[in-house]
Amino acid sequence: METATLDGKAIALDDAYRHAAKILSGAAFPLVAGLGADVAGARAAILLAEQLRGAFDHLASRETLADIDVKRSFGMFTTTANEARLRGDCVVLIGPGLTRAWPGMLERLALSQPPRRGAQAEQPRKVIWLGPEGDEASAVPGAKVIPASAQELSGVLAAWRARFGGRPVALDADKVSLIDGLVETLKNARFGVFAWSASTLDPLAIEMLQGLVIELNATTRFTGVHIGGRSGASGVTQTAGWMTGFPPRTGFGRGYPEHDPWRFEALRLVESGEADAALWISAFDGEKPAWSHADIPLITLAPANAAPSRGLFIEVGQPGVTHDAVLMSQETGGMTLRKASAPTDAPSVAQAISAIMAEVSEGAWR
Amino acid sequence: MALTVLRGGHIVDPATGQDAIGDVWFEDGRVVERPDGRSADKEIDVSGHIVMAGAIDIHSHIAGGNVNTARLLLPELHRAIRARLAGTPLSTAKWSSYETGRLYAQMGFTTVVEPAMAPHHALQTHLEFNDVPIIDKGALTVLGNDDFLLGMLRDGEKDGAINDYVAQTVENTRSLGLKCINPGGVEAFKENMRAFGLDDVVPFYGLTSRQIFQALQKATQAVGIAHPLHLHMNNLGLAGNIDTALATIDAAQGLPLHLAHVQFYAYGKEGKNGFSSAGAIFAEKINANPNVSVDVGQVMFSDTVTISSDVLKQFNSLPGAIPKKGAIFDGDANGGGIVPYAYKISNYYNAVQWAAGLELFLLIENPEQVFFTTDHPNGGPFTTYPELFALLMSADLRAQHLSRLPADVLEHTTLPSISREYTLYEIAQMSRSGAAKLFGFEDRGRLGAGAVADIAVYKPGRDVAGMFRRASYVFKDGNLVVRDGEVSHYTRGKTLHIRPRYDREITKRLDTYYDDLYGLPRSIFDVPDAALPHKDAFAEVPCRI
Repeated sequence: METATLDGKAIALDDAYRHAAKILSGAAFPLVAGLGADVAGARAAILLAEQLRGAFDHLASRETLADIDVKRSFGMFTTTANEARLRGDCVVLIGPGLTRAWPGMLERLALSQPPRRGAQAEQPRKVIWLGPEGDEASAVPGAKVIPASAQELSGVLAAWRARFGGRPVALDADKVSLIDGLVETLKNARFGVFAWSASTLDPLAIEMLQGLVIELNATTRFTGVHIGGRSGASGVTQTAGWMTGFPPRTGFGRGYPEHDPWRFEALRLVESGEADAALWISAFDGEKPAWSHADIPLITLAPANAAPSRGLFIEVGQPGVTHDAVLMSQETGGMTLRKASAPTDAPSVAQAISAIMAEVSEGAWR
Repeated sequence: MALTVLRGGHIVDPATGQDAIGDVWFEDGRVVERPDGRSADKEIDVSGHIVMAGAIDIHSHIAGGNVNTARLLLPELHRAIRARLAGTPLSTAKWSSYETGRLYAQMGFTTVVEPAMAPHHALQTHLEFNDVPIIDKGALTVLGNDDFLLGMLRDGEKDGAINDYVAQTVENTRSLGLKCINPGGVEAFKENMRAFGLDDVVPFYGLTSRQIFQALQKATQAVGIAHPLHLHMNNLGLAGNIDTALATIDAAQGLPLHLAHVQFYAYGKEGKNGFSSAGAIFAEKINANPNVSVDVGQVMFSDTVTISSDVLKQFNSLPGAIPKKGAIFDGDANGGGIVPYAYKISNYYNAVQWAAGLELFLLIENPEQVFFTTDHPNGGPFTTYPELFALLMSADLRAQHLSRLPADVLEHTTLPSISREYTLYEIAQMSRSGAAKLFGFEDRGRLGAGAVADIAVYKPGRDVAGMFRRASYVFKDGNLVVRDGEVSHYTRGKTLHIRPRYDREITKRLDTYYDDLYGLPRSIFDVPDAALPHKDAFAEVPCRI
């Protein structure tokens, strides 16, 4: 049964859509945030934000923009998980919690099997893990573990790159010798792959890593697999890209998209009072907004168990669980249709927004 | 839908041979003969105007993961500056899918082919197509660096299996045909080769580029795909690569072959810079080989970005990036490289490229054998087509440009000696009738009865580029979508695709291959109708057989 509540009390679904439309169209600068949605949901949400001349942001934008900032200021080498699996003879995992960010990673990259293509086909795969979390690396027999705390990752990558370039580093001889050994392994790789998640690396560390990739490519082949952010971040970013030219943190106040990672950050817009109404979308797991207090009208689209006690709530289904959904797939690096695993009648984000839009607009383009 | 007549325009329609004042009638989205005993519900006086079929762009990178990477890589290249008109969401969001549809429509273009869809990323291309309003779209599927094909060729499999694989891939990715990009060269780059010519050998497969493209050329013909194999040759952009181009044409076995963005292969090694135009030699070769068609990939001086699935070439271009950044993606087969660049009229090399492209246009005799692309955005954005048409139509305009090029360029191009000026009829042959023939479209690129009522009406004037930039009227499927150069509202175009016939046994074999190699169901790469926001997104185009 589809549900909607207003300040915790049940209201009719039609009334909820009408009320949502009234809140959003009455706002001077409404915000579409969270954006935890499939491609269809993101598409509807962005069209709504455009129609309302508001702004949109995604709940994992910090991570997404860490990768994008490196790409657009420096450049980036990437490959698919499939190529890493088939050809990667030296796979270097960077940082803790990769298996949390991507539960299927170890299986997908087939780390305990040899590569199947290229110069090192059927030779044992070298796996190195810098700074894993707890016993995360024990699932990969033979992996060489280099302990490092999350705070140390940037420094270690800088030291690797310095030694690769033959530059001195202020470390003891033992460590320098360890690093030099590692650098030799990287140089001898035929198709090396770094895997990282921006949830544990800042942009400068990612840039350091990519700088090392470029330098390694002077003589051999090396590339990277980046692990996308939670709540459909990669698919939403791609969708925003073709629709507006920009990733999330984009506003339409002037009637055309402007991208500004500071200006259109959801948290800042709410806490500063610049946004005077918000639509919070979190269809995967009902993650709550990061703002601690908000005096503005709030509409939440989330699964049933995530109803907030305040504001307007409209239940939506979970993408790929309760309804079919197009999502960016970490295992292929491309978009794919995920069939519903436990179908229900709950509306998708796209359907809910479509119902709101029908009450808003100039004759909406959908 | 109302019976409409466009009255008294100058009809330029090479497919029906018309080049005279006349009327065009249409109803229910199709061009019709003038009906007996009925008068028009709607009559539009287009006297003093040129009436053509909607134009077809045969090669323009408008959608897909690589294009989107370019968008995200270069926010500074596409800042928007103007609010949109009512009823056209995101139409002024620069370089968005929506703006792409609006700008093409305003120029009178109604069908555009995206020439590089990776089989494993087809769904995203189709999702982006869905958000390109008004115009019809189509794609070419990229093969030639994929292990399944190379493995079959290495193992000496029968043509039948290769044909089935080609046909199955085209059907499954829902495209109009096949593109082949640096055959074998991208696979070789993964094995650390940094250059790859026509007869270099792909490591571990023992195949040459020549063998790979010939096999695909034959398969394309065998399964009845109307569009010839669309080939991006080896050695793109290198001085002296005219030799590669001429050898590739010789290797074409007399079979149909389309060579993409040939300007980038029209280079000799003359002069003190070791870089000269070989446009004249190339054009002569095309004239002697009617089985070969080309699009030019004209360089237009502008800030742009190069987007290519020739990852080897793009990697080698990185040091010359302007601004200095780029993205290199080693994909499951081809992947992509995105490298920004700025073509400057004061740059010797860029000026030679510009001249070489125009020589190709002007020296290839048959306008249905040469197409007007800029390889958008690689040589320049598609929005420069109006300027390009103006250059083709005016030797004076070319002379003005030539006077601004570095002086030594003139010693290494025959362009100053060429007086040919394209007529409107020839422009229409290149952009309408010829383009339709190239893809086997029987109901577009023409104004004969039965054709789709995709119609562009232009107001001629002294400013030829202005005429082509802002059509007076554009009808898409009979709907008026552009008036005085402005899109008034969106319609939803179709995605065109073909379904070549093949033996379904190949799909079982592919299922096993994907299970074994990737441990993934092959269906994860599918383009199901349910994945797209709207029903009826597709329209099938018949195959040749």
